[in-house]
Amino acid sequence: MKFRTLLGVAAILALTGVSAPAADKDAADIAVEAAKKYAGTTISIVWEAGLQSLDPLNYSGPKWEKLTGIKVKVVEVPTDQMFTKIMQDFKSGAGAYDALNVIPSWMPDLARAGALEPLDKYVDKFGYRDELQDIAAAYRDNQMQYDGKIFGFPDDGDVMLLYYRKDIFEDPKMKEGFKAKFGYELAPPKDWKQLDDIGQFITDKMAPKVYGAGFFRTAPYPQYMFQERFRMEGGKFFNADTMKSTVNSDVGLKVFKQMLAENKFMPPGVEQWNFVDNLAAFLQGTTAMTISWPPYGRWAAGYGSGEEALKWVPKSQVAGKVGYALTPLGRPELGVGFDLSVSATSKNKEAAYLFIQWLNSKKTSLERVQLPYTLRDPFRLSHYASEKYRALWPDAPAYLDTIKTSGEKGLLDLSLLQQDKYDEAMTKAISSLWAGEDPKTILDRMAQQFDAITEKVGIENQKAVYKVWAAKPGAYPQ
Amino acid sequence: MMTFSLSFNGTEHRRPSRLGRVLEDRLPYLIVAPAILVLLLVGLFPLIYSLIVSFQRITMTDNDTSFAGLLNYAELFRDTRLWASLGHTAIITAIALPLELLIGFLMAQLFIDRMPGRQLFVALLVLPTVISPIVAGATWRLLFDVRFGPIGEILSFFAGEPIRILWTVNPAYVYPAIIICEVWQWSPFMFLLLLAALSNVDQSQLEAAEIDGASYLRVLRAIILPAIAPVIAVACLIRGLDLVRIFDIIWALTEGGPGSMTETISLYTYVQGFSQFETSYTAAISFLVIALLTLITTLVLKRMEIAR
Repeated sequence: MKFRTLLGVAAILALTGVSAPAADKDAADIAVEAAKKYAGTTISIVWEAGLQSLDPLNYSGPKWEKLTGIKVKVVEVPTDQMFTKIMQDFKSGAGAYDALNVIPSWMPDLARAGALEPLDKYVDKFGYRDELQDIAAAYRDNQMQYDGKIFGFPDDGDVMLLYYRKDIFEDPKMKEGFKAKFGYELAPPKDWKQLDDIGQFITDKMAPKVYGAGFFRTAPYPQYMFQERFRMEGGKFFNADTMKSTVNSDVGLKVFKQMLAENKFMPPGVEQWNFVDNLAAFLQGTTAMTISWPPYGRWAAGYGSGEEALKWVPKSQVAGKVGYALTPLGRPELGVGFDLSVSATSKNKEAAYLFIQWLNSKKTSLERVQLPYTLRDPFRLSHYASEKYRALWPDAPAYLDTIKTSGEKGLLDLSLLQQDKYDEAMTKAISSLWAGEDPKTILDRMAQQFDAITEKVGIENQKAVYKVWAAKPGAYPQ
Repeated sequence: MMTFSLSFNGTEHRRPSRLGRVLEDRLPYLIVAPAILVLLLVGLFPLIYSLIVSFQRITMTDNDTSFAGLLNYAELFRDTRLWASLGHTAIITAIALPLELLIGFLMAQLFIDRMPGRQLFVALLVLPTVISPIVAGATWRLLFDVRFGPIGEILSFFAGEPIRILWTVNPAYVYPAIIICEVWQWSPFMFLLLLAALSNVDQSQLEAAEIDGASYLRVLRAIILPAIAPVIAVACLIRGLDLVRIFDIIWALTEGGPGSMTETISLYTYVQGFSQFETSYTAAISFLVIALLTLITTLVLKRMEIAR
């Protein structure tokens, strides 16, 4: 009996021993194993030119080749030309690209045109569905599917965060003076009125050494701030029944006036600030608050400052002094983001799919979001919880917790057919706002432009797409 | 020249054969035919193709390539942004071109007399024209920058108080900013052409006028300007066409903003074609521009009588 028991235990152990690696195999391992049969082939991937491309060029591309024998050719394309290049390749049927980086708001256009390969069959074949659940809901529920099919894997946790100077906010004199003046504690602003109070207060006390806040104001960035604020104040982009634009409502006017008024407590010339201007001002300590994507937080902490590729980033003068918070009203704009997709005209669809599954997998993506030079931001629950990531700098846990909360509450960019045209109308409108044109006139013109675009696209077509978009959890605050 | 004539006994000349005569007549055409064929292929084919595209419904986001008739051309007349962009182009051309001509002429007058170091000065003055316009635009954007730009500092020094002008944002200053950059870069081009032209003015006439005691303005009107008029006309034509196509400097300085206030026809065409993916409509805009430019160029050439 004892011998039989022993045999039984031995058998169980043996079975466990054999089956354990299979059970442990994650999506990255599965992709690598399956991709080995394509060893010797080359796949191309469209990637945002510049820093972003250092990921596949320096890290993931060579690593994938080492693991599978598949070479990765990186096609660097400036962001504003990526859509055109993808469509050109698709329309010509050339199949020059296998895998793609796609901005989620392009998905309706690309999916309807047939330029993207539906990924569901691959997801099931290569057992990726479970790992997709680890992607934060904001990205998974909003940025992955069109018309019920998976067309891309959310791969970048873009979301706007509020950064503030803890040393100024915690200074006893400042706290006391602020409370005496406004009757509430000096703390990260909960709404835009508080941001005005705090911003003006700090400017009055500390300018020109430090101004209350600085935001980027040149195209295309402020439109994301407008989209967020407009919806958080109760605005709707369209009347869902008629598709007539309602951006020129009282809410639109209120937001435009607020945005314009804020410039008064920001540094002179803020109207001309782009991403780098704003970054430089905050890192050099001349603005006490700003709103931007997650890389600001890492760079402010000095993370990656030794990297050659990040030499253009000003040396942080505020490391250890930066706090992270949700943007006022608590529902930040997700702002752009990137999906990994497969081109419908690819001649190596399965190999391309396996590469993006491996890139996007829990294991590989955790390494990629820690690369200091590639601007990929945490987007998985496991990224936020990673002990390794949380140990990267003293405030990293607070940083990751804020990104997680911001992502959970994030608002999705407007995403319609020919979205670029609506974006351009918003961008031009905001540029006119800084130039001092009457806000109501600008908004009326923007609404007219929206209507003209909708009419040209086809009201019924656009209504259907808008309905799908507006039903997403991140479209309008519930 | 090919004659195909033969001589017999040194006295009789036979007339060239019919084939010979035909070849003789057509020879110049035969010689240039391959070059013309190549030119037609590389020059005319894209033009014809884009003309066909302008009658279709091609956009980057749709698979529809059907025939649209005159739809795109009808749309041109309803497109207020298009006409505004033509207006902006006209404003820039109308201000920058005379300024460039005037400054170029004044500089040429200053340098017409030979002096020590003249060649070096001329080379330095011509430097802006060899810079890429996008770099020139980016450089001036920095010069105008409200925080780092020296222009604000210089103005503040003279004003005795801080002067902060948002050159590329404030509607009152955005055109001056563009025109300053444009004139800075291209006046030297006018200078070079006019310096060459002035160098060829008949010196004996100038000396005779001086002996007769003619005033400078009289000499200018009666001798210098008539002598350099063809060069001025060609220079204006070249720069005028360049100004109508102005893109890089504005892209670097304002990107057409604030709003669409400095959007020129080239910028608008770019936006329609490469940002909004309206391929057929962009082709229609291009043909409108070609038609307008052909008309203006013909009129200018006729007016200046330089076509002959």
